[in-house]
Amino acid sequence: MTMLGTDEDADGGPIVGPYHLHVDGRLHAVTDAWLGDSLLTVLRDRLGVTSVKDGCEQGRCGSCSVLLDGRLVASCVTLAADAADARVTTLAGLPVDGPAPAVQAAFLCHGAVQCGFCTPGFVVAVTDLLTRHPAAGEDEVREALAGNICRCTGYGRIVAAVRAVQADLAAQADLAAQADLAVQADLAVQADLAAPTGEAAQP
Amino acid sequence: MTGTAAVMHRPSTVGEAVRLLAQAGDARLLAGGTDLVPALRAGTSRTRVIVALRRVVELRARGVGADTLTVGAGVTYAELADWTAAPGLAATARAVGSAQVRNAGTVGGALGSANPRGDLLTFLTAAGADVLTCSAGGDRRGTPLDAFVADPPARRRGELVTAVRLPRPAGPQVFLKIGGRQAAYPTLVSCALVVDEAAGQVRCAVGGVAPVPLRAAAAEGFAAAEIDWAAPGRDPAVRAAVARRFGTLVATAARGAPTQLPAGPRDPAAYRWHAAGVLAERALARCLAAGGSR
Repeated sequence: MTMLGTDEDADGGPIVGPYHLHVDGRLHAVTDAWLGDSLLTVLRDRLGVTSVKDGCEQGRCGSCSVLLDGRLVASCVTLAADAADARVTTLAGLPVDGPAPAVQAAFLCHGAVQCGFCTPGFVVAVTDLLTRHPAAGEDEVREALAGNICRCTGYGRIVAAVRAVQADLAAQADLAAQADLAVQADLAVQADLAAPTGEAAQP
Repeated sequence: MTGTAAVMHRPSTVGEAVRLLAQAGDARLLAGGTDLVPALRAGTSRTRVIVALRRVVELRARGVGADTLTVGAGVTYAELADWTAAPGLAATARAVGSAQVRNAGTVGGALGSANPRGDLLTFLTAAGADVLTCSAGGDRRGTPLDAFVADPPARRRGELVTAVRLPRPAGPQVFLKIGGRQAAYPTLVSCALVVDEAAGQVRCAVGGVAPVPLRAAAAEGFAAAEIDWAAPGRDPAVRAAVARRFGTLVATAARGAPTQLPAGPRDPAAYRWHAAGVLAERALARCLAAGGSR
């Protein structure tokens, strides 16, 4: 069990001792954890990933939200050893070319961060929502975030931040589509100019 | 913190999983982890051996047959939530927990834990589901859900739930529940109605009152006698009266359940009986509004 860097955890055999976790693109050796430890415990206490917050340990508050192979889960009710052949994504591992940076900026700008304890879990959950369903309506946003509890903001500012990111993304997509159309129109004109005209073009 | 768990097996087939279960004796099955992981942490589950089922592909299948739907034990609530072939099951799955819980929790986990307040258990009881299991040696069998949940877990040792099978929808299906914030707290009381229009039958199950979901036979008999699902009638006053009487009969059935779940400070028994009646009344009203349309 000491072949660090190989993928022996992915072969489906039993796990009795140390194993590896693939977190935010890096492979970590987990050497001193109890086999029954949750992913939350291992991330925080063994690997030092403290953006994953320890709120309720019951799967109720969402402050420990991570992506497991791209699915949003509560890491406190995920067995760490069972994630040995999966990809774990925490706040720090969210792709920088996705919605995460805009979500973080909007949370600050809209006062959606007060004590900040719930914020990393919210950013993971919002990013997951906007990646899968960028045009979600307000009810869908509230439903998608129902598993993340915030005791400070009353959620209004959080929802406002999400709606602002959606509006920005939609405007960007519109601009991109218009630019695309303009380019296509240019190309069509050029193609027209280049094409042989009249009867000369007929075989 | 440390506990007793010392080995985790990761089978990829049902055969391998039941062989490991038989060998270990006291092994605990792990699916989404939403029940087992907190139990391991709290020390209420003191197993040495965990058999993790996430890699068993067979358990993840779901299918539509001529008369039945089959849902693999490894299918998550999130996967059920948008299943158009099973609107009642989908609505129930959407009513469970949060996005995080629905992405992890599975059908098999709901049956394995058999939480008496479990939303899926209530719906599957109303639907008349069978539980398909496999035990060492490859013995496969189907057990009606009510018999399955009445059987003490010790008697089911060594058995793996592979799937549930339920009749294809044949009329309106409604699931309603009451409790604290859905994402954070378990259901207090739930009610599922499954209508078979051609058979003129309404099956009703109530969760959160008795140790297993409760069928309300008198209410079901009343609905069968009173309602013609081919032409449920357009008079709203008549419909409302039928729904009210149905709700009263369900509340009476809840009160009459021989074994009651222990009452908590926020859910005295009388409140749960009342809630069961209110939910049943609303659920039947919705079925009547949706019925006769096929």
